Amino acid sequence: MDYFSFRPVLFTGALFLFAAVAIGMLLAPLLLGWFLRPHNPSKEKGDIYECGEPTIGGSDAQFDIRFYVVALLFIVFDVEIAFFFPWAVVFGKATTLAKSTLSEGQRQHVSAALLGEADVEAVTPVAADAAGFLQRVALMDLLVFFGVVLVGFAYVWKRGDLDWVRAMARERAVKTAAGDGPPSGTKSPSLSV
Amino acid sequence: MIDAIWVLIAAVLLATFVGVAAMVYIWMERKVSGRIQDRLGPTRVGGRFGWLQSLADGAKLIQKEDLVPDSADQILFRLAPYVVMLGSFVAFLALPFSNGWVAVNLNIAVFFMLAVMSVEVFGVIMAGYSSGSKWSLLGGMREAAQVVSYEIPMAICVVIPIMVAGTLNLNTIANQQAGMFWNWYLFQSPILFVTSFVYFTCATASCKRAPFDLAEAESELVAGFLTEYSGMRWSFFFLAEYASMFAVSGIFVILFLGGWNGPIPIWYGIDFGDVWIGKFFGLLNFLIKSSLMVFVMMWLRWTLPRLRIDQVMTTCLKYLLPMSCGLLLLQAIWQVIFPNGLVGWMGPEVFNPGGYPLDGGQP
Repeated sequence: MDYFSFRPVLFTGALFLFAAVAIGMLLAPLLLGWFLRPHNPSKEKGDIYECGEPTIGGSDAQFDIRFYVVALLFIVFDVEIAFFFPWAVVFGKATTLAKSTLSEGQRQHVSAALLGEADVEAVTPVAADAAGFLQRVALMDLLVFFGVVLVGFAYVWKRGDLDWVRAMARERAVKTAAGDGPPSGTKSPSLSV
Repeated sequence: MIDAIWVLIAAVLLATFVGVAAMVYIWMERKVSGRIQDRLGPTRVGGRFGWLQSLADGAKLIQKEDLVPDSADQILFRLAPYVVMLGSFVAFLALPFSNGWVAVNLNIAVFFMLAVMSVEVFGVIMAGYSSGSKWSLLGGMREAAQVVSYEIPMAICVVIPIMVAGTLNLNTIANQQAGMFWNWYLFQSPILFVTSFVYFTCATASCKRAPFDLAEAESELVAGFLTEYSGMRWSFFFLAEYASMFAVSGIFVILFLGGWNGPIPIWYGIDFGDVWIGKFFGLLNFLIKSSLMVFVMMWLRWTLPRLRIDQVMTTCLKYLLPMSCGLLLLQAIWQVIFPNGLVGWMGPEVFNPGGYPLDGGQP
């Protein structure tokens, strides 16, 4: 049964092995290249490329990162989606069990997986209408849980935080507020993404 | 113990596969782009069709000087390709290539793959930030905004087929689609059909492929986060890019296109069981389907013009994200109304001749 066969030691070992292989895949050609490639550093080669012109200033200039609201939105949605995965598994099993066409053996298997029982034979199979009820309850859960985030998303959208070009959002806000002149404290970013 | 040896063999095989596949796909990309632009592409290296072109490129790149700019953050600059490669290679840990042919048969395989592949963005941001070049910094920051945004609709689109499958195990998901091609999740409901397109768009963006390759954007940012990289270190980013292209295509094939199941079960009635030849044909099926999806990515790259950064963000946040949320809700309602599915009248067991239990199809 795949739900009970998770072996943490094997998995962790495999994770480290794959990481080591990935690093090895890059290290091997680099080490081989060590013997083949020239090494003649010079002032010009050490410069950064700015289309052939002498560089003006470094890259440590201040600029508007712009996507901090998007990043906040991402955190909220990503936590949300992390909770969707177990929900989807239960909902999917409930859907499978709600099928009237399911054979007895399959019903036994899926019921065992849904109830988390290792011993398939010992499980009382879940009836189709009971699974249908579970499905509807799960759908209600989803609507409440998802609805809260979608309201927040609509608010952010309405506020204009999803607009990449802020100047346009600001202009629109000014227009709808019927104000005269741009709001104070506006400054254009020196370097924009 | 046997499992540990199997994991070791799988790691070596997958490393070989990723290296060879990247070379083949890079050659393919050059031929495809050549044909689309009405030219021939590489023709000479290796006799015909320039089939050894990638190897020749590699031989050239390995002899190139390993340059690190003086103003760069030396450690982060050298570390970035490793982080990118870790993200795309470790994901293969959980990707099954045929029934049971997977390094570790994880019960949360698809979740694991999504989580690990998103590590890749750290490498790109590191590369952009540490280069000390303005082009690189802009490329890295764009990548951060883009990948962070596209991950949301992509993950929601992965949840939708899982709602049908009822498991996160990719091996089981593919086995559940055994039988005629209408058992594939792509054809299970009109909602899933639309979802596959949304997923593929997001997958293209998450691999930073054109028309979403804002991080490189050679016409505006020189080469974006790659500007200061040269030689082998530069090519590692491409190795990782083609590996993750295959990985997202593999997820697409398993979630929507039936994985290693052919369109028509020609082996119906012949019970191969655990015989390796059946699995070998499954492997061929899987590779053909995944390569087809990789080809579609190339086709898109050489057909569509690059979007602007604000268009990329608008596409995601104002179109793909609401679409994927709506599709999720619609699919949930669809499954409550039609629990037997669109083709449910045939019954899953009629065209599920392998006799796999619908859940727990572990070999």
